Amino acid sequence: MIFSRLLVFCSFLLLVSGAADVINKDLVVANVERSLDLSSQLLKVSHKITLENSGKGVIKYFLFSVDSDKVKNLSFLGATGSDTYRTPLKLSQVNIPGHKDAKFWRIDLKDDITSGKSVTVEVECVFTHILKPHPAEILQKEKQLVLYRGSHYLYSPYLVKKQSTTITLSSKNVESYSKLKPMSQTDNVITYGPYENIAPFSVSPMDIHYENNSPFLVITRLERVIEVSHWGNIAVEETLLPASASDVYYRDQIGNISTSHMRILSDSVELDVRPRFPLFGGWKTHYVIGYNVPSYEYLFNSGDDYLLKMRLLDHAFDDMVVDELVTKVILPEGAHNFVLKTPYDVERLPDSLHYTYLDTKGRTVITIRKMNLVENHIQDFELHYQFPRILMLQEPLLVVVAFYFLFLLVIIYVRLDFSITKDEASESKMRVAGYCEKVLSHQDERAISYQNYDEQLAKLKSSKDVNAFQGAMKSINQSYKENTAAISDLVSKIKPDAAELADKISEIQKIDRNLRELYKHQQAFYTDKLGAGKNIPRQQLIDTENQFNKKKEECIEKINAIVKSMQ
Amino acid sequence: MIRAITLFIRWPRTNSPAKMMLDVEHMSRYVSPVNPAVFPHLSLLLLGIGVFFTAWFFVYEVTATKFTRDIFKELLVSLVAALFSGFGVLFLLLWVGIYV
Repeated sequence: MIFSRLLVFCSFLLLVSGAADVINKDLVVANVERSLDLSSQLLKVSHKITLENSGKGVIKYFLFSVDSDKVKNLSFLGATGSDTYRTPLKLSQVNIPGHKDAKFWRIDLKDDITSGKSVTVEVECVFTHILKPHPAEILQKEKQLVLYRGSHYLYSPYLVKKQSTTITLSSKNVESYSKLKPMSQTDNVITYGPYENIAPFSVSPMDIHYENNSPFLVITRLERVIEVSHWGNIAVEETLLPASASDVYYRDQIGNISTSHMRILSDSVELDVRPRFPLFGGWKTHYVIGYNVPSYEYLFNSGDDYLLKMRLLDHAFDDMVVDELVTKVILPEGAHNFVLKTPYDVERLPDSLHYTYLDTKGRTVITIRKMNLVENHIQDFELHYQFPRILMLQEPLLVVVAFYFLFLLVIIYVRLDFSITKDEASESKMRVAGYCEKVLSHQDERAISYQNYDEQLAKLKSSKDVNAFQGAMKSINQSYKENTAAISDLVSKIKPDAAELADKISEIQKIDRNLRELYKHQQAFYTDKLGAGKNIPRQQLIDTENQFNKKKEECIEKINAIVKSMQ
Repeated sequence: MIRAITLFIRWPRTNSPAKMMLDVEHMSRYVSPVNPAVFPHLSLLLLGIGVFFTAWFFVYEVTATKFTRDIFKELLVSLVAALFSGFGVLFLLLWVGIYV
């Protein structure tokens, strides 16, 4: 308890000390080239900032600030070095005492700036919902005019020696724009500046009222559900298609929307989605897109360690704006030890459970939320987790157990007897039928032992090896004795219920004894007459054998006739 | 003459769980233990065997009387039927696109 409190206190200290910063007066901005892209519904600003160290010390980082009235519209902020590789620079938000309204980011430089030297960096910002329709309402045939309010100057915490701004509009039809000289307009490009020696935090209002007919299409809420199956599939439900997507569906609350076209390209799948109705200003539509991708595209493993590397947000349409994104990752049942790595700060909502086919305790759902996103946010997240492979057997075994339970119910059901009277006649009939079946099966086995007996006799005749014969006969005799005893046993059981049947079986037993005697005689004949050194005429041998066979056949026929009458 | 010796001691960074995890480079792409291309064949084969044993079980249950039925035979046949039908149903689900 005390330990955890201490931990909280320490982390609080860290947070405060890490977030506060001061503006370095030695740093000046030698030159800024701003270019504002106002041709879509977004405002994309790219700054090329040349920083100069006018002091004596070494400068390792600089601050970038965004005006308070623009901060809520800021969606993306990124900084890169101006080298050919465009090395991304590390950003962290900081607080500057005395400037509570504006937001500041500390950007760590790749190389330190020594005294008198300068370095160039590029900072890119994307703002959403910053262009206001003006007038707010128009007729269908009228042109769409929007108003942009900004500043002629960079909102900089440092002195800016020289700056110029280039603004690209969607058309050359400009109603009006603020005129702070020097400035010029050619076609759809307006250029302001260069302005020189502008003090820190200077603001000069800039208004541009122009025609912008590009669609102002906003995704108010995007829910992206990623369901991982270790049987080789990842199912995604939301609004865009990467390469190798298959089984695509596009539907809304009413049902499937057939006015869509899918084109399979070499490196991607393109889906042309058409809503049920055209979307005029202020209209809304709602739909769901889903597709499957094979697991090897995004899922990696090493033993029981798994890694899901997928886009947190995917491309829906060009220059898109997503007000709220909720990405849910449904992992297989039994996954644990989650570690989530995101490319930018997100809000991780508490884990929940999802129940679907063949689940017991539910699948863990990792939920991530982020507000105000643009295309620059299309980046991969990494989700590590562990999953014991043996748990994959849980699902088939669940079905097996369900089936087995059903069969057990049947086994129990057939044993239940709810009759209140006992039908003695049918009962005895059933009992006799049961015994009869057993007698027949024993009789079958006995027939098999006779067959084996025959085979052994034939072998004895040719090899004259008495010892081998006797060895083989042991098991045959054993089986014969068991079956004969079992049948005799059954005769006594059948007698009270069906005397006639018992007599028949006794008859079989009698004939069988004769048959057995015949075999014994044949065996004796072979051992005595055909023993070593003895010889009998060939004709006599054949005659004797024929006699045996004839008698044996007679017995077998008699037995078979009785068996047939019993079936 | 040695004036000073500088010792470089590199402290290990704090071991966060993410650090202990493997990187993508050390992992292989995950494929299903059963090739999805054989799901149809597997489900048909397993369900075929499963249906056969199920049929055998039910035929046995309705024809055997209380004097002839054998509990071990019933349990064995139904277990085999349940095993084959269970795995067959799983692959049928996977085949039709219900990735469980």
